[in-house]
Amino acid sequence: MTLVEAGAADWFDVKGTTPKGKQARRLKDGTIGMIVGGAMLGILLLMGILVPLLSPYESDQSVDMPFMPPSSTFLFGSDGLGRDVFLRVFSSVYLDLGVAFLGVIIPFTLGTIIGIGLAMSRSKKLNAVVGSVIDGINAFPLLVLAIALIAILGPGLQSVVIALSLTNWARYARLSRTRAQVVKQQGYIEAAQTLGYSKPRILFKHLVPNVSSETTAYGLSDLILVILLIASLSFLGLGAQPPTPEWGAMISDGRPTLQMAWWPVVFPGLALCWAGVALSFIAEGVTRRERDVKS
Amino acid sequence: MSTATVTESPSEVLVEIRDLVIGIQRTRADRLILVDSADFDIRRGEILGLVGESGSGKTMVCRSLIGTLKRRSATIFGGTIMFDGMDLAKIDERRWRSVRGNRIGYVPQSALTGPNPVMTIGGQLVEAVRCNRNRTERDARKRAMELLDLVHIRRPEVVYDQYPFQLSGGMRQRVMIAAALAQDPDIILADEPTTGLDVTVQAEIMKLLREIRTEFNMSVVLVSHDLALIDDVCDRLVVMHGGTCVEVGSVKEVAQNPKHPYTIALNRARIELATPGTQLITIRGNPPGVGEWPSGCRFSERCEFVQDDCRVGASPPLLEVESNHWSACIHAGELGAASE
Amino acid sequence: MMFGFEKGTTQVSLSMPPADVTDIAADSTQAGPRPQPIWERILRRTGRAVIVAFWVMVVAFMLIRLAPGDPVSAALGGEASPETVAALRTQLGLDVDPITQFWKYLWAFTQGDLGSSLLSGVPVTEMLKTNLPVTLWLIAITVTMTMIVSIPLAVFIALVRIPALPYVFRTLTAIGLALPSFLVALLLLYQFGLIWGIAPIFGYEPGFPANLHYLWLPALVNCVVLVPVLSRVLYSSILDTLDEEFVETGVIRGVKSYRFFWFYVLRPSLAPTVVLLSYMMGVMVGSTVILESIFALPGIGRELVTAVSMRDYPVVQGIILVFGVLVVFLSLLGDIVASLLDPRVKLT
Repeated sequence: MTLVEAGAADWFDVKGTTPKGKQARRLKDGTIGMIVGGAMLGILLLMGILVPLLSPYESDQSVDMPFMPPSSTFLFGSDGLGRDVFLRVFSSVYLDLGVAFLGVIIPFTLGTIIGIGLAMSRSKKLNAVVGSVIDGINAFPLLVLAIALIAILGPGLQSVVIALSLTNWARYARLSRTRAQVVKQQGYIEAAQTLGYSKPRILFKHLVPNVSSETTAYGLSDLILVILLIASLSFLGLGAQPPTPEWGAMISDGRPTLQMAWWPVVFPGLALCWAGVALSFIAEGVTRRERDVKS
Repeated sequence: MSTATVTESPSEVLVEIRDLVIGIQRTRADRLILVDSADFDIRRGEILGLVGESGSGKTMVCRSLIGTLKRRSATIFGGTIMFDGMDLAKIDERRWRSVRGNRIGYVPQSALTGPNPVMTIGGQLVEAVRCNRNRTERDARKRAMELLDLVHIRRPEVVYDQYPFQLSGGMRQRVMIAAALAQDPDIILADEPTTGLDVTVQAEIMKLLREIRTEFNMSVVLVSHDLALIDDVCDRLVVMHGGTCVEVGSVKEVAQNPKHPYTIALNRARIELATPGTQLITIRGNPPGVGEWPSGCRFSERCEFVQDDCRVGASPPLLEVESNHWSACIHAGELGAASE
Repeated sequence: MMFGFEKGTTQVSLSMPPADVTDIAADSTQAGPRPQPIWERILRRTGRAVIVAFWVMVVAFMLIRLAPGDPVSAALGGEASPETVAALRTQLGLDVDPITQFWKYLWAFTQGDLGSSLLSGVPVTEMLKTNLPVTLWLIAITVTMTMIVSIPLAVFIALVRIPALPYVFRTLTAIGLALPSFLVALLLLYQFGLIWGIAPIFGYEPGFPANLHYLWLPALVNCVVLVPVLSRVLYSSILDTLDEEFVETGVIRGVKSYRFFWFYVLRPSLAPTVVLLSYMMGVMVGSTVILESIFALPGIGRELVTAVSMRDYPVVQGIILVFGVLVVFLSLLGDIVASLLDPRVKLT
């Protein structure tokens, strides 16, 4: 059936094709996604505790010949220095996720404070200048700014967190400022003012919770980006330094010998994807729920 | 007491709808019937009102007249729609293209989403003018301007280059009426054309539709759930309930001398509504859901005059109880006294 | 690298007119004032982009100076004598107060001077002349490839209508968002370059058809992430469009199929996709930094990484400025395209 032959009416046989019932509803509101994502994250976090605890080795200890393929003793094989890839992959869980968490929570807090502050402030000048700086920072690709800052701070995970804090706050600030301005317009803030509630009370009882519910949803998807960003920076040699077990650094480590041994690259990569997909599913569910609540 | 008041001689019948059945084929064996036995005529130069609650099938009947049932996954399972020697219930897409827009114009429901948002008003009108007819660009533009003038849009040359989002709702609906007029159709279908419009604008649009009818001797089919509106504008009325036509007649007849308990209830609900200080009377129960129709008369469960024989057998057909006045109530003859 | 839905941004920019209930006073026969011509709106949006670009310059200037740590000692290492440090400070113009520095920096910029490399002495503008086209080509090819794949894919899925598809699609998008592009790049390079030998492992040739040979694989990596996200947005916006009444109006009008497809299906649906693409430009440009490093492409991204590891700080400042300005103008371009496609898109 070619385009021209098909009558225009054939273009829109639209209704009645979505699955129905409870299953569909749960698919629709993202519950299933959240459960799957939560389980994936739980497994990863559990392994992150158990594996280093139960393993008789240290993560930077040579336990076998270099480049031994995966076997029953060493499930993920060994890397170029004969270290256990399985152990190293799971030793990185809390480092990777923890640094990413810091890299989100600090800008989140900073940005929310600045954003709400701007929305509350009556000074037009302050709003214009800080608003422009925010626009200016947000124009940059995050990775590019982080790389530039690390040029001065020197490589290392600590620098990564500082770089993220210095740059990523602007996104949260913009989001929470817009949101706070909207909330401020709504009736209940005015009502609270009329009732004579104190400013701090209005701020913390009404404004902050309303603003942060939205930024939290964004923060969750931002966490995925930040995890990938940290791994990317480490991959470029600007983040975690060897021999620290970190997924990006491990992938970078194994890269020259990828042709000979795929496992030191693929397994950390899989772990990284696993974490990302888990959070991605959760974020999708949360966003969906947020949207449902609103509409 | 009923008096046979035939005010105007019945004019030429344009469309004859008989026993129309519309439904959705869900699986090979499972059909969901949305409309069965729609039965009425559309006459030349009249404004015909199609009233009913949501789910009564009025929109489906309307869609069957422009061949876009498929958009709602529905199909015609039986019956005929005779129009100019064609049976619209059976013709294929190719034939439809010569009918739709050409012979039967359509005014969409919502002024907000009716016009194409990415085309200028002029572009859409030219498109409506040029489709199916070979006109030159200049000719089409001239005609588009005429059409804008026809629907009383001032400064058409400004509106011509504007996009729908730059116009007010009333203006947009005027433009849509202009587009429906582009090919001088015999009939214009307007499916709740004043949804979301302000009351004064509503009145303006209705006035415009009436003017057009008089000027071009066109027929207008007005789908609505607003009886007051229908009363003001229409000549004849088709009342639908539960997928069937329950009463057909002139507006005057139906208002003064209703022959179906549903219409009686509708009328009463309206009158009470208009009298301050009285309790609001609504019709008992909810309209029967599609596919959950009771046997016999579909209004039987809500009807205050219900009798045992109402609940058996098939849905009763429309019968001409007086000249040019049809009712689907098997006790129509007894109603006159009861409704006093 | 990574792409995120920036929450709220796509909805905000597609501003719809208010519901009709509000226009009580409006006379339904009277036309409003003549609308602002499109070029005027484009001009205004461009003006805004220039202002943002100015602030991008300010930020590029500030970040390097406000960051904890001293670029000069970082560049020279710990053992440099105080004299050397002082000499470099003077050379870089860091010995005067920041305000003067900023004016100097602005003045130099208007003269087309972005400073010179500490190591080679080559002016940054010279480096850009050879390196920037590589990055621009990579972006252009990525966008083209993404569109070529996403549009038919989204249309196909929207019209075929298999009930489970939306969920498959959503899952794929969630996975696509979580894929690290450096890993995808490594694995594709390994497979296509080393195992199958159908892509070059490194190297570059300037000029259009020739560079395609080197750029298609990195562009493909970007597509792996972009395609699910964009086609999903386009898909749902096509469904929304098909549900709208004007589509029916078009059918009734008997619009020819190809015209119908463009004016009544695709064009009203495309704007959110284009807007999203322009929002994702920033992230995509960021990911070229990694891709250029992996594929050894001589673009400004790889130059940036080299400069960072060499502590060549004037080059770093010059390149991030270019990146920032690039993103500003790419999203300007995206907004303009979106508003040309759909006049409802506000250019502000």
